[in-house]
Amino acid sequence: MTLESDRSGVFLAMPATVYVGLLVAAPLGVLVMYSFWTQTYVDIDRTFTWENYRAAFSDPLVRQLLVRSVWMAGLVTLLTVLLAYPIAYFVAFRARRKMLWLLLITIPFWISYLLRVFAWKLILGFNGLLNSGLASLGLINEPLDFLLYNELAVIITLAHAWAPFAILPIYVSLQKIDRSLLEAATDLGCGKLGRFLRVTLPLTVPGIIASCLIIFIPTVGDYVTPALVGGSDGKMVANLIQVYFGSANNWPLGATLSLMTMVSVGAVAISFVALVRGAGKAIR
Amino acid sequence: MTRTFTRLATHAAIAGLAAGAAMADGSDLTVFDWSGYEDPGFYGNYVETYGEGPSYSYFGDEDEAFAKLQSGFSADLSHPCSYVTQKWADAGLLQPIDTSRLDYWDDLLPGISSVDGIDFGGETWMVPFDWGNTGLIYRSDEFSSEEVSLQMLTDPAYKNKISLPGGALEAVTLGVLATGAQDSYPDLSEEEFQAVLDFLRDVHENVRFYWSDATQLDQALASGEVLMGWGWNQTEVNLISNGVPAEMMRDVEKGVVSWVCGYVHMQDSDVPDEQVYDMLNALTAPESGKYIIESWGYAHSNARAFDMADPELVEAYGYSDPDTFFAGSLFGVPLDPALERRLREEYERIKSGF
Repeated sequence: MTLESDRSGVFLAMPATVYVGLLVAAPLGVLVMYSFWTQTYVDIDRTFTWENYRAAFSDPLVRQLLVRSVWMAGLVTLLTVLLAYPIAYFVAFRARRKMLWLLLITIPFWISYLLRVFAWKLILGFNGLLNSGLASLGLINEPLDFLLYNELAVIITLAHAWAPFAILPIYVSLQKIDRSLLEAATDLGCGKLGRFLRVTLPLTVPGIIASCLIIFIPTVGDYVTPALVGGSDGKMVANLIQVYFGSANNWPLGATLSLMTMVSVGAVAISFVALVRGAGKAIR
Repeated sequence: MTRTFTRLATHAAIAGLAAGAAMADGSDLTVFDWSGYEDPGFYGNYVETYGEGPSYSYFGDEDEAFAKLQSGFSADLSHPCSYVTQKWADAGLLQPIDTSRLDYWDDLLPGISSVDGIDFGGETWMVPFDWGNTGLIYRSDEFSSEEVSLQMLTDPAYKNKISLPGGALEAVTLGVLATGAQDSYPDLSEEEFQAVLDFLRDVHENVRFYWSDATQLDQALASGEVLMGWGWNQTEVNLISNGVPAEMMRDVEKGVVSWVCGYVHMQDSDVPDEQVYDMLNALTAPESGKYIIESWGYAHSNARAFDMADPELVEAYGYSDPDTFFAGSLFGVPLDPALERRLREEYERIKSGF
């Protein structure tokens, strides 16, 4: 019986396993292989070498971009989750037409990601909405130029683009909370704030962790946003990877940088989860 | 506006023509090109023969094209510029051109077919098609043509008022001209190379953004976001035709670059050579040249095209004397591969503030 169900389990998992094997594991393997090769003009030298890793580790540009990418993605995550929580809370506890609200929240996703980035470019641009608005109010004479082409622009754009990814998991975890627990807390003398901090917030931690990971992991490697609104100060590591696979035509070094980014993201994500777990245990 | 209209009208007319005379295999020919070059007016004779135009795929820049071709993308013709053909040929992507099969080879502008990067290793590798200048484009309401110079790019007074191209090969010519190394270009000595990098590093302090697409530069110059930019003559034409007071610094003493782009025959081309040469001949025909000059404001490689085109437009776009256009300007030519690689890596660093 057990054997039978084991076998059918393997059988059921086969399509996904093959799919993941072909489309994730195999390319990753190629990437690892490339990272130990060297580019010589138009050819690849397939002798094993650590040279790419040595070059990448000793390069201050790589270090700067990696640190900046992690830092910016962290800020985006923090900002997005902080802004998303009240919205999710409102929809879960206060809104009458929940479906309508959820629909409205996902509306940005009906538009191409690229267009959303361009929209921010139009808002923050030199003759953009914000500048011309402020100018017509007589608040500024010269257009502000710190709005676009820097870290700030990238953070604003990403925080907006990823908002629904934070709102939905938090909403689901809020929705799942058994309302009688809240009543019990009130009956036992909890104030509104105490009830939120001691009942609601701890119960939504899984949703918050999910949101953080969903936002942090893809934004570290975001390429389009910094390329369009980042300028030279807002560049991230993916832009450098693109250069090595594109114009610099050095795939091995590009592969090395990709792997280094993956490892950094993994390390940060794992330590984040461990930290939250540890904190949770300490509280209990 | 009028230009767009003419373009649309031609599109429509030729599409109609194509539908009428459907000869099946015109679209077997694939061209890997910059976007915009699929305009049927560029190769009217080919459409006449085959009843339809070739199929087009696009690249944003030659580096992207190179990466795609190297990873196995196949096409019959492509459209790089003179400074990358050597690399493409070295990578085994190209086959040499048989100039005896080109009807208009002898009509091409004198000098254009002997540019480095078209003719090397005893073979011809590219059929020149379009050419122009890369230079300093500035707002003529802010600067007079006397005061403007490449050295102004490093003046702290113009902080955030400058845009440079994101491509290293475009930027290096600026550095070479500004540091006076044009005589040894492309074989720069180590000191000259470092001086070029230092100059670009100084300009970086003033750069608002590095453009990756010429329309980005067009828009920033039009809005006044930047006042000067290193760009192609296409930007100047676009700005002037939109009524923006802008000009390219064409003074050869102060420094201007010429570029030539053209069509190359790809190694893994799988249509008959005859069809490839029909297309090359259609592209270099004087009628195509007249159309490009008049409707697009681009310069064509066929000398006869300039005699056929509306003299007023030729004058307005600054092509009335192609010889002076080339004379004294710096030609974008291939760099030594090792130097090119260092340049690309260093330029990435400069763009990030190192």
